[in-house]
Amino acid sequence: MLRLALADLWHERVLFLCSALGCAAVLAPLIVLFGLRQGVVAGLRAELLEDPRAREVVSIVNRTLEPALFARLAADPRVAFLVPRTRALSATIVLENQARPGRGVRMELLPTGPGDPLLPGLAAGEGLVLSPTAAERLGLRPGDTALASVARSVGSAREVLTLSLPVASIAPASAATRDAAFAGVPVLLLAEDFLDGNAPVDARPGTVEASRARPFAGFRLHAARLEDVPALDRELRLAGIEVASRAGSVAGLLRLDHNLALLFLAIAGAGGAGYLVSLGVGLWAQVERKRRDLALLSLLGMKRRALLMLPLVQAAAVALAGALLAFGVAAAVAGVLNRAFAGTVAGDRPVCLLTAGMGVAAAGVTLAGALLASVLAGARAAAVAPAEGLAEG
Amino acid sequence: MSSLLSLREVAKAYRGDAAPFALEVPAFELAEGEALALAGPSGSGKSTLLMMLALALPPDVGRFTFAGSDIARLWREGRRDALAALRARRIGVVPQTGGLLPYLTVAGNIGLTQRIAGCEDAARVRMLAEELGIGAQLRKRPAELSVGQRQRVAIARALAHRPALVLADEPTASVHPELADAVLALLKRECDQAGAALLVATHDPERAARAGYPVLACETHAPGADGIARSVFARASLVEAA
Repeated sequence: MLRLALADLWHERVLFLCSALGCAAVLAPLIVLFGLRQGVVAGLRAELLEDPRAREVVSIVNRTLEPALFARLAADPRVAFLVPRTRALSATIVLENQARPGRGVRMELLPTGPGDPLLPGLAAGEGLVLSPTAAERLGLRPGDTALASVARSVGSAREVLTLSLPVASIAPASAATRDAAFAGVPVLLLAEDFLDGNAPVDARPGTVEASRARPFAGFRLHAARLEDVPALDRELRLAGIEVASRAGSVAGLLRLDHNLALLFLAIAGAGGAGYLVSLGVGLWAQVERKRRDLALLSLLGMKRRALLMLPLVQAAAVALAGALLAFGVAAAVAGVLNRAFAGTVAGDRPVCLLTAGMGVAAAGVTLAGALLASVLAGARAAAVAPAEGLAEG
Repeated sequence: MSSLLSLREVAKAYRGDAAPFALEVPAFELAEGEALALAGPSGSGKSTLLMMLALALPPDVGRFTFAGSDIARLWREGRRDALAALRARRIGVVPQTGGLLPYLTVAGNIGLTQRIAGCEDAARVRMLAEELGIGAQLRKRPAELSVGQRQRVAIARALAHRPALVLADEPTASVHPELADAVLALLKRECDQAGAALLVATHDPERAARAGYPVLACETHAPGADGIARSVFARASLVEAA
């Protein structure tokens, strides 16, 4: 059966090549189009995603936010990371390298916690994560010990709280461009309590658990997905909490993504439908042409199912060869496009992104369409009375 | 001799070239290994009868048995695969112009019936080809052969799977008159040797008789009151003849 089908194809190899080429000619631009959509949108999206700030939502006005709010936010599946912060004015410390006494630098103290997207793979633990500029100015390296001090005036006297904290690591430049130190919430709370006069000079940071019961002035959170940023932004504002986020640009990207998807869907839909129709009629014509041979085989006693397999095998061969050819052409075009547009449209990402999955999908759709068309045509041909094979001879 | 084909009161209505025709077979018997020529002018329904006997067309009414199978019932019950299996194993067909598959070699075409019947036998393919004088063409495609050679390939194909019945529809229509006698003689000789019954439809009963075939001529009746022309093929049954 298979031998018959393939012998026929081989005998008419020029025609077979034509059908496969025709199939590829329509399919290749569709694949390129799809690759472009993937490349452009995926590129923009990845660029935004790579920047942890894109998913960040920060409260900007000092308020008194109760623990219940934090519990509710932490339980929200759209929130991937949440850390409370103290009042901005009380989150300032002077940091000093133990080896270079007297050359302290005043900097912002920022809250962090396990899994902070701003510090991927890094953890402050009981110590500090320094911004690159701060680490450079102080000459501190991971493993060194830094002295952090906060000063307050009690009457005319000046009291200083000094903590000796290990430097856990250096933050990436994207986390903080100015001089800053990331520390766990208990360190920030201690600084605030000390400034408020609620802690003695020899106090030490409490535990994370203890800090959960306290109200905070604000927070920083990161949404789980880019799509969640606009909604979280809106809901927090509605709840009366003033926040800053990139909701605007994220919404813009999402709109672009959506519109591009629609556009591509429209073009690909029209092209794809045309493709399947042309593939279908081509195969239908091929079966019609083979009617006499099929009738003859039927007359010689070939069963209907075997008879149906003939056009089916041939259609599958055309479809697979066509899809393979199309993917080859598309890959070549994609290569040219990527070289031509390198670094202009989607950064250093490929403009046209072709994956093996797309190739399999293209082959699958083609195969399904081809088989459908040839089953319909084949069923018609197989229903022909076997007598036709004798009558026309 | 037992009866291979037996038809009783079979009728089949069909459209001829223009007017409606009715084919009637009150009684028809063919014994195993027997050869017979069906004669009649063109359009008389020989081909239709042949297709019916080839299990390729259903009769409208009547009883029809072949090799012990109730063919009329198989058609009624729509068991096309059973009919196809019978065709594949027991029947060989020689179409008018050969009906060879252009994409197979001569050997592939001859072996086709063996493959469909599931009884491949390359030695028999070679033997038949030698006997029919096409042993040297086995590796060629049909397009490289002469008309006569193609006809012989079709005869070899009809015999390759050792059928009980060989049907040939005007096997001489497309060959040179001198070749026609040879083709008819060849068919008869090969079927005799293979022990297969043979039915040949022809418009030339004298030539068939010359080649040693008993001839069954059809009676044609002009259109009656119902406007339907009738062709009748009647052959006394073996039982009645005895």
